Amino acid sequence: MNRGYMGKILNVDLSKGEVAEELIPDEVYQKYLSGTGLAAYILYERIPAGADPLGPDNILAFMSGLLTGTGSLFSGRWMVAGKSPLTGTWGDANCGGTFSPAIKRCGFDGILFTGISEKPVYLYVSNSKIELRDASALWGRDAIETEEALQEQYGPNARIAVIGPSGEKLSLISGICNDRGRIAARSGLGAVMGSKRLKAVVLDGRKRIVPYDQEAVHKLSRKCNWWVRLQLPLGPSIGVGLLGALLRILPTAMAMDGVIYKSILRQWGTGGLNQMSPEWGDSPIKNWKGSSVDWPLKRSGSADPDKIKETEFIKYHCYSCPLGCGGKCSMTGKYSETHKPEYESVLALGGLCMNEDTDSLFSLNEMLNRAGMDTISAGATVAFAMELYEKGILTREQTGGIDLTWGNTSGIAALIQKMIDREGIGDVLADGSKLAAERIGKGAHEYTVHAGGQEPAMHDGRQDPGFALHYSVEPTPGRHTIGSQIYYEMYQLWKKVKGLPGKLPFQIYTKNSKFKGTVKQALETAACSKYMNVINGAGLCMFGCFLGVTRTPTFDWLNAATGWNRKPEEYMEIGERIQTIKQAFNIRQGVDPRRNRLSARGLGTPPQSEGANRNRTVPIEKMMSQYWEQFNWDPQTGRPTEKALSKLGIG
Amino acid sequence: MPYTITDTCNGCGACKRLCPAGAISGEKKAMHAVDGALCIECGACGRVCPKEAVLDASGKRCAMIRRSLWSRPSFERKTCMSCNICIDECPVNCITLAEPVGRKDLHGYPYIKNEKACIGCGFCAVSCPVDAITMIVPEQKDAQGPGETRAAG
Repeated sequence: MNRGYMGKILNVDLSKGEVAEELIPDEVYQKYLSGTGLAAYILYERIPAGADPLGPDNILAFMSGLLTGTGSLFSGRWMVAGKSPLTGTWGDANCGGTFSPAIKRCGFDGILFTGISEKPVYLYVSNSKIELRDASALWGRDAIETEEALQEQYGPNARIAVIGPSGEKLSLISGICNDRGRIAARSGLGAVMGSKRLKAVVLDGRKRIVPYDQEAVHKLSRKCNWWVRLQLPLGPSIGVGLLGALLRILPTAMAMDGVIYKSILRQWGTGGLNQMSPEWGDSPIKNWKGSSVDWPLKRSGSADPDKIKETEFIKYHCYSCPLGCGGKCSMTGKYSETHKPEYESVLALGGLCMNEDTDSLFSLNEMLNRAGMDTISAGATVAFAMELYEKGILTREQTGGIDLTWGNTSGIAALIQKMIDREGIGDVLADGSKLAAERIGKGAHEYTVHAGGQEPAMHDGRQDPGFALHYSVEPTPGRHTIGSQIYYEMYQLWKKVKGLPGKLPFQIYTKNSKFKGTVKQALETAACSKYMNVINGAGLCMFGCFLGVTRTPTFDWLNAATGWNRKPEEYMEIGERIQTIKQAFNIRQGVDPRRNRLSARGLGTPPQSEGANRNRTVPIEKMMSQYWEQFNWDPQTGRPTEKALSKLGIG
Repeated sequence: MPYTITDTCNGCGACKRLCPAGAISGEKKAMHAVDGALCIECGACGRVCPKEAVLDASGKRCAMIRRSLWSRPSFERKTCMSCNICIDECPVNCITLAEPVGRKDLHGYPYIKNEKACIGCGFCAVSCPVDAITMIVPEQKDAQGPGETRAAG
């Protein structure tokens, strides 16, 4: 029976150099979907307690999504999972491009690596061959060079994921790259790949992916595409920036509709918010110490979306995406083009470090993509170092002569190069700000903003406390791509799932009401986590899902692709199961969930005295406890109770 | 159900050379065989076989068709959403994105870069969620005119 998934995974033991196919029973997909859900189920069983994330026991899983290749839209995300060396918790990261369908075209829903290879290797999979091949000649080369070399060797059908020098050097903020600069960046899983001496995964299969009812899937896709095509006239980008300023001044906020955000994405990409976000307090400035006052429109104009768009020469669509928020941009300097810098990269390397140099946003983006280093963590770590420099905790002598004054572009570039090379001060900083603070001492930890060791993204919980909560309670701490108040508004889950609080279109509410920490809000944030697990099991893109669950019909697509005919509530229970098994994974690994709470500065303790988020404090203790209660986990400790585990059938 | 080769096969190897999935094996001048686990049912073997020795997935004998008469995809730009599904679906990688013309519309749209490589399987047309692809038999001087067929997937 065709159900959209392949029903098999590939296990690769790098220590022994052996590969083995493994059938996965239908019941597992019914309980965990595919993607990170399937990975969580397998890794929970197979990674032993206390496993060294960079040791042979850790498993690195490359996963495709259940909906990938079925004719549904937005289903081009692939996911990598494993125990994170950065946080010691469950780790996963997510990326677009063309790699996700390639996993399934080799006949697998996932490829799982254990062990450590003696010498550098890459995996090659075609229709009839599965082989580990020597990668000595590729070791040390950057991500894009490596991809191009392998592409030339294997031709246009090959889809390639690689690590750059950063992953090879076990930098704990490194990721895994594909399609010349897309990167599954978070949780430091590039270092896990480096520790296994696995340079690349080359997929060259041509198998077909067959859903249960393709016409039904296509019919849903056509309806969804209608919404994608509905483009609001947005005018020049400064209008969006001014809207941010207006939202800052008003004491009220408005429920967001995904069509607005979708229109921004289609016009400019994620960078459409480059100026709006700092204005209304969504983006942290100057290592989370600054505010909209330090980064007014005049300064954020260095990343004016219209200006960036001028350099764009073609839109970049990931596989099966009708929206195309990405782009390829031309640039001057060493390299002639780069993927359009994403919002996160722009703000982490821009506002967070007070860097106003537009050209550097492109060159640093390309430099980090080639190195395979996370732009969010890299930018945040540089910002942290800049504050230490200002305080005199880091001296010019220690930085090897680099001037780390706020906004010094050449200093930022020099420091990042050192981090990539792991040289001098770069070696101290290459594993993120938390570890760097431990190495530097002298009270440096006071200036880090992290959750469980990972730098949070450029979304400020003091503006939307949902972000602060998810940074603190997710089994992958510091993650911004799961939930928040505004995400909940856009998902519009209440239209499909019974028992969830509804919102009126463009409902007005006071900003203060967001910071109450009510049970209703806990219900909403828990729903975001559950839904995002369904999305990551399906391999869908969060941006597509922002259109709302009736317009981007996740549940209906899943039913059409699998023939299951399940209710939305049943899918939400699957999401709950995946969330719980990931939390159980953390408990088994000895993680105390309470320690993942976001650093005080990011929570508004003490509150800021000026700017968009002045006088705001996130009532985090209360919110975490209420969130855990929604999952029937212990509200004091965050540990899943026996009752929760047995209800969900987790052994 | 995969395609199969029957004993009228003369071992010319035309199908083996064309099969994009590497599913066909056999010595020259000996009967060839399709590996059912690898066959993607594109039907190229059936269209190319001079002996009409190939049975399709439903067991029907495939008719040989002159390659110049194999249907080719035609893309309707207005409907196309640049989603790349057809590019990924094509077993011979003959589709690619055209660079945008001008600054007004920066999306790339698919076209057949390598006409000769196309095997007329129609997977691109079948996989397109918005039906922006039609399979068209190329016009021939000696033929009656263009015919339109939707590929059987």
